[in-house]
Amino acid sequence: MAKIAVFAEIEDGAIHDICLQCMSKARALAGLDGRVVALAAGRGVSETAAKLFGYGADEVYAADHAALAGYISRPFRTLTAGWLVEQAPAAALFPATTLGLDLAASVAGVLSSAGVLYADDVRLAGDDRTARRIEFDRKVVTDYAAADGRMLIIALRDGAADAASFDAGRTGAVKAVSVAPDFVGAAKVLKRDVAKKTINLKGARVIVAGGAGVGSLENFSWIRDLASALGAEIGATRAVVDAGWLPADHQIGQTGATVKPDLYIACGISGAVQHRVGMQDSGKIIAINTDPNAPIFKIAHYRIVGDLKAVIPKLIQLLKS
Amino acid sequence: MSCNCVVIVREVWDTRDLIGSILDEAGHIKPGALQTRFEPEDLNALEVALRIKDQQGGKITAIAVGAPRGVEVLRECLYRGADAAVQVDADASVLDDRALSVLLAAAVKKTDAPDLVLTGTSVVDGENAMLGAMLAAELAWDHVAWVDAVEAVAGGQAVVKRAIEMGYETVQTPLPSVISIGVALLEDDPRSPRPAKAMLKLKMKKTPIPVLTPAELGVADPAALVTTRVTRRESVPPRVIESRQVDPEDVAALKTMLNEVLKGK
Ligand SMILES: Cc1cc2nc3c(=O)[nH]c(=O)nc-3n(C[C@H](O)[C@H](O)[C@H](O)COP(=O)(O)OP(=O)(O)OC[C@H]3O[C@@H](n4cnc5c(N)ncnc54)[C@H](O)[C@@H]3O)c2cc1C
Ligand SMILES: Nc1ncnc2c1ncn2[C@@H]1O[C@H](COP(=O)(O)O)[C@@H](O)[C@H]1O
Repeated sequence: MAKIAVFAEIEDGAIHDICLQCMSKARALAGLDGRVVALAAGRGVSETAAKLFGYGADEVYAADHAALAGYISRPFRTLTAGWLVEQAPAAALFPATTLGLDLAASVAGVLSSAGVLYADDVRLAGDDRTARRIEFDRKVVTDYAAADGRMLIIALRDGAADAASFDAGRTGAVKAVSVAPDFVGAAKVLKRDVAKKTINLKGARVIVAGGAGVGSLENFSWIRDLASALGAEIGATRAVVDAGWLPADHQIGQTGATVKPDLYIACGISGAVQHRVGMQDSGKIIAINTDPNAPIFKIAHYRIVGDLKAVIPKLIQLLKS
Repeated sequence: MSCNCVVIVREVWDTRDLIGSILDEAGHIKPGALQTRFEPEDLNALEVALRIKDQQGGKITAIAVGAPRGVEVLRECLYRGADAAVQVDADASVLDDRALSVLLAAAVKKTDAPDLVLTGTSVVDGENAMLGAMLAAELAWDHVAWVDAVEAVAGGQAVVKRAIEMGYETVQTPLPSVISIGVALLEDDPRSPRPAKAMLKLKMKKTPIPVLTPAELGVADPAALVTTRVTRRESVPPRVIESRQVDPEDVAALKTMLNEVLKGK
């Protein structure tokens, strides 16, 4: 009979993918007789928020206000904390995005609630409100319990649940949340410089990913050629994105996409933990690296110690023949 | 305009390249299984403060909770150019970010007129990444997380560059604000943190570091502030994967590999 709250991040008229995972997790925690309540905040979010009914919400609230056009901590935390006090759910789920992580932590601070970021699972049984996180490079699983039956506030890690499916038969009326937070003198977003998403790494069955070991922008043609021979999408490490060789939507890892293709070919990637968390559940992993001690080899099914500039052309030739 | 900065620093477990089990039978972290290091994002936060000071002057105060590890990172801050350090005398290892944020907020209020409070966004791997947000909530100040650079501090405002999923945002935030600095700057990055100075080491080696007790900060029992408790820790058995080395010179082996992975496609 639990009541579960979800913060729905909406950008450009789309509900964030991890929020859909939060919706299915919330529905599972609430059970048939429990309630899932969702809140969206931003400018012009009401219409999209109505879709949350279809994704399993019993009640949907929207704080729709021009001053919420960009994410800033203070008004968002004031308004979300106020809404949570009214709703008094057992747990509140946020997506582990840069926005969701900051808001979850801020709200837990305001309410003096239990906060757990990057949670992999949640358990609710009476006063036992526990979030589970797999941490220390996947070596340890830790349970964090809310002290004294407090509200549990979590940011759900990408991939921790399947996305909720849409049921067009579920509809309802979105309730407006009045916005009178402490805007006076608050921060504001002056400028956004965001790349448009051009590829869908999450749906890819085969990914060829390049790291700093590719060496240069020109050398990336090797990666492109191998990807096109395989009909694969191109992934990258943060080092590659930081170097400007590929746009940010190619990045895989903790601050990029979490992917699970059937085949992942890691070329010139050392395999830092922040990269591995985004790709280690791939069906088969081939790693090509000149350094036999590169950590990527610890999770690779096929270990090729060698120079990618020599290995990739051989692979392409074999694929073409 | 000079700008006074407080930098919150932590010594954290070093979770890079963990080898073997780190838990004992009872599910506690084995003493000595993990090394500690200066939280890299906190180091970046210190570097950001030092650059603000280079450009427009002001005073940098570093604050940490706990001894003696906290004192070591504080001394490291002095060696890198911080003007003052304050230690909050509580055992950080039994506190969560919520309890730490209450103590630290009180300590910040005792520091004269800070314009910015800077810290690192994330604690490596443990990744609770909550301290900055909770500290700002406790102080009732604005907070900007995942900041890569502070571009300007003037006219009662700071302009910062914040990393988001697909790019960057430029955010203007009023003073005082809490700013959480983002991921580690790459080693060859021209922005990387400056090292300790030998001259400062000699000068600051014996500098006394003032201590604030929880009672002085208005907190009778810091442990009573904890909202999140670890109830269970277990080792995850290492994943056993079938792995094999493929000789890049052996074309037949490469071919077998491709056939295996592309089976059914
Ligand atoms: C909070 C945080 C979040 C992060 N988020 C992410 C993230 O989401 N995604 C991510 O990827 N990173 C992330 N990082 C960065 C991460 O820690 C690593 O720095 C990054 O993944 C390293 O990228 P790389 O493997 O391309 O580069 P490197 O570590 O420099 O590795 C390059 C590799 O290429 C090999 N090599 C060199 N030449 C050749 C050659 N000719 N042929 C074959 N191999 C060669 C080298 O042996 C080396 O192993 C994050 C870091 C932090 C602190
Ligand atoms: N402000 C702080 N001062 C000193 N140690 C801290 C501080 N914040 C967190 N820690 C410690 O850093 C380690 C990792 O924290 P976490 O990953 O959040 O569990 C723990 O040992 C904490 O006690």
